[in-house]
Amino acid sequence: MTYEILSTPVNSPASLLFKQCLAEIDPNNRLLNSAMNEVGGYFLYRTEETPLSSNLWDRVLDQTKIVKSPSKISDEYDPLLSQLPITLRSHLKNNEVKWKSFNDVKVASLLPKENNEKLELIHVMPGAKIPQHTHEGNESFLVLHGSYSDEYGSYKQGSVQVRSDDHDHTPVGHSQTGCIGLAYTHGKIKFSGKFGKLLNLIAN
Amino acid sequence: MIIGEIMAKVKNPFVDALKNIAERQDIGSFKKIFDYFGPRLKSFLMKSGADEAIAEEIIQETMTIIWTKADYYDSSVASPSTWIYTIARNKKIDILRKTRKAILEDIDTAILPPVESKADENIEHDQKFEMVAKYLDDLPKDQLDLLKMNFFEEKSHGEIAEITKIPLGTVKSRIRLALEKIRGKLEQDGNMANLIPDNKSMVN
Repeated sequence: MTYEILSTPVNSPASLLFKQCLAEIDPNNRLLNSAMNEVGGYFLYRTEETPLSSNLWDRVLDQTKIVKSPSKISDEYDPLLSQLPITLRSHLKNNEVKWKSFNDVKVASLLPKENNEKLELIHVMPGAKIPQHTHEGNESFLVLHGSYSDEYGSYKQGSVQVRSDDHDHTPVGHSQTGCIGLAYTHGKIKFSGKFGKLLNLIAN
Repeated sequence: MIIGEIMAKVKNPFVDALKNIAERQDIGSFKKIFDYFGPRLKSFLMKSGADEAIAEEIIQETMTIIWTKADYYDSSVASPSTWIYTIARNKKIDILRKTRKAILEDIDTAILPPVESKADENIEHDQKFEMVAKYLDDLPKDQLDLLKMNFFEEKSHGEIAEITKIPLGTVKSRIRLALEKIRGKLEQDGNMANLIPDNKSMVN
């Protein structure tokens, strides 16, 4: 699954950040991702030229004069965030993470929703249970920290699960570490168990 | 002596150019990168759906990132062409969206800041990427085309199968095989033995 995701071209910010986190979280993924990027670089180096507008260099120079130097990643915030991949920390550095709490589960949106795509951080407290739900469309979930389990297995850091709308499960955060994960969703999550209707209203 | 000559041959001039920008804001080196990669980036961007104005806007943004973040370039992680390609590709994803309002805070994190301290000498790393290029140079054209479609033209395996009339499973396995070879080359921590075809001659 990891290979499939890494080798599939992405075209949205949400899918790009998800892919980069996946590449970053494991040295093998990083190497594989580098191999794919090197192929791109190889062809860029050898591709034909298309003439540029004559004033483009001046525009570039003008922009370098006004651009401010990049801000560094702040170390001051939430210790939880310091456990995240650099990709996310860089993305978040100037943005406050706004958590929404659902009992023992916290959810934070990382990008404005676009074209029915969402990218969210999910923080499941130790031992907390997410009510039984299915997924509308696809959800890719990457474990960033800790682990969780459901009816089908347990999933540790770096593992990625892709679930579609016919998949019904009840995840539970690891009893000691809990779980922080990155969820990339096309479409809404649908709760199916007891209280499902109410939760659907809240979550969506 | 011979080793020195071989090394001088494989030294990539753009590694030095990026270094000069990082260390002393060298406009000459910046222009060199612009002149070589600008027109090639334009071909890449226009083929992937950008019109001329947007392609040049993305080039302008890419060049600005190169200027401000050259010190993030780590010659052990990517060849210069790959670093530039990745920045442009990610910038494109952010800018080509319908709303066209950039939302990715730090798009250039595609190539992550170096984790370990940079090596003083870049020659070994150049050599690693030269070996990847050499491997690609020697691939049969039909196999190289599959890699190009996947990682430069950004087509999915399914689309490639449709275009080439090659069964999907074969497309996947051919691409995977080549990638594993490239990964193997990236894994080798460049040393003399890789450079000298027959390293026994070193001993004798």
